Amino acid sequence: MTLQQQIRANRLRSLVVVAGFVALLAIMGGLIGLVFDPSLGIFALAFALIYGIFALMRSRAMISRLTHAQELSPNELRPLRRLLENASIGAGLPVTPELRVVDDPAPNAFAAGLRPKSSYVGVTTGLLRTMPKRELEAVIAHEIAHIRHRDTYLMTMATIFAGIIALLADIGLRTLAFGGRRSGGIIAIVLAIVGLVLAPYAALMLRLSLSRRREFLADAGSAEILSDPEAMALALRRLEHDPTTVRYADASTSHMWVESPTDRVDTTRGSIQEFSSWFNTHPPLKARIAALEEAGGFRLPGELPADVAFAAEMGL
Amino acid sequence: MLWLWILIGVLVFLLALGVFGYNRLVRLRNEVDTGWANIDVQLQRRTDLIPNLVEAVKGYASHERGVFEEVTRARAAVQQAGSPGSAAEANDFLTAALGRLFVVAEAYPELKASENFLRLQDDLTDTEDKISAARRYYNATVMHFNTAVQSVPWLLIARPLGFREREFFSAEGDTAVPDVSFPR
Repeated sequence: MTLQQQIRANRLRSLVVVAGFVALLAIMGGLIGLVFDPSLGIFALAFALIYGIFALMRSRAMISRLTHAQELSPNELRPLRRLLENASIGAGLPVTPELRVVDDPAPNAFAAGLRPKSSYVGVTTGLLRTMPKRELEAVIAHEIAHIRHRDTYLMTMATIFAGIIALLADIGLRTLAFGGRRSGGIIAIVLAIVGLVLAPYAALMLRLSLSRRREFLADAGSAEILSDPEAMALALRRLEHDPTTVRYADASTSHMWVESPTDRVDTTRGSIQEFSSWFNTHPPLKARIAALEEAGGFRLPGELPADVAFAAEMGL
Repeated sequence: MLWLWILIGVLVFLLALGVFGYNRLVRLRNEVDTGWANIDVQLQRRTDLIPNLVEAVKGYASHERGVFEEVTRARAAVQQAGSPGSAAEANDFLTAALGRLFVVAEAYPELKASENFLRLQDDLTDTEDKISAARRYYNATVMHFNTAVQSVPWLLIARPLGFREREFFSAEGDTAVPDVSFPR
């Protein structure tokens, strides 16, 4: 699959996701209208539309606040900025995305933004203190690949839609619980409850199934940008060994990070494992390392190289 | 009558294929051009840094004329290079010449400690890293473009419409593109 095909496939998927979410929204509006009042259904949909437009306009700032990412002045962390510049040149991006740093001991990184021109890459201070330069560069290239593949665009859209649906379901359920005029029969009410309870989960599933496949592609992208698949595999192995989790981790942003910040606990028993893997935003690190090993034709050594971490090397 | 329809169908199919193929080749060629522009910017930046660097070293080691001349010549060769291949070759010469210049600089502790020199050295390292990043992207786009131009059926329209293979940015004997292919 060439890059252009990948980007086009992503655009098509974005369209499918948007269509799926719009259908879900319409069903929910219909349910609310059916049980209470048609005008309430219309009001709810209008509210959803306004919320959506507002969220889209404010998405950059919102994600930044949710992840506690700080903007940096151009002169701060120059060596880090250079890694980012080199990765975006290697990826052929028209401009270098902005760089933000999250003050968090857990090693992780994320990318956000609707277009490559307005995107930014966030890294945690923990990442700088854990990863040597070569692996840090691989992680940054992974995030750049997300931007290049337009994953960040798709994810932002999906996040906003999932938020709207959860909000509508909440409004519907509360109105249902605390009275309000009910015009439908008992069947309609049961249908509405089931629909309103399940809708947020349907939205969540849709969103998660999108982000998991993308991680493999972004790992491959990182390997291609740097011509160094081993660096990405080493970085993932190092993340696997690291026990800290992101402090500000929030389920609403978990799909954006290089490694899932929320589902750290390994469930080993069969059925629970199956279930949890459905709700994971990321494929397991082992599977991602294995994919890189197969593609690059190498085997990671058992021990990680004892290189000095980037932060220590740069005296940060 | 049936044969006429078949003929029309085949013609429409060929036309559609031609339009699709032409657009694809144009897109790939534009990517190559963008990739080359990225390299060009960095090469320009590198050659811009050199006069200042030479001046800085001259201030301490004015008698090392041979090295300065060599660097200046290599710099001119990069600026005059007419094709990606020759630019890569000239750039490699420049790297070698700069290497000798830095060996000379080693002998002057005061020069090595001067802020100006350190900044120039740092900027040069940065530019070299960026050239190699830009080169990875450019060579990948060239590979895609060349593969398209050389493969059936685009081969049939590429030549007549003026799409020619592009040169890699690499000196001869260099392995241009490291093979990183992923099973999809």
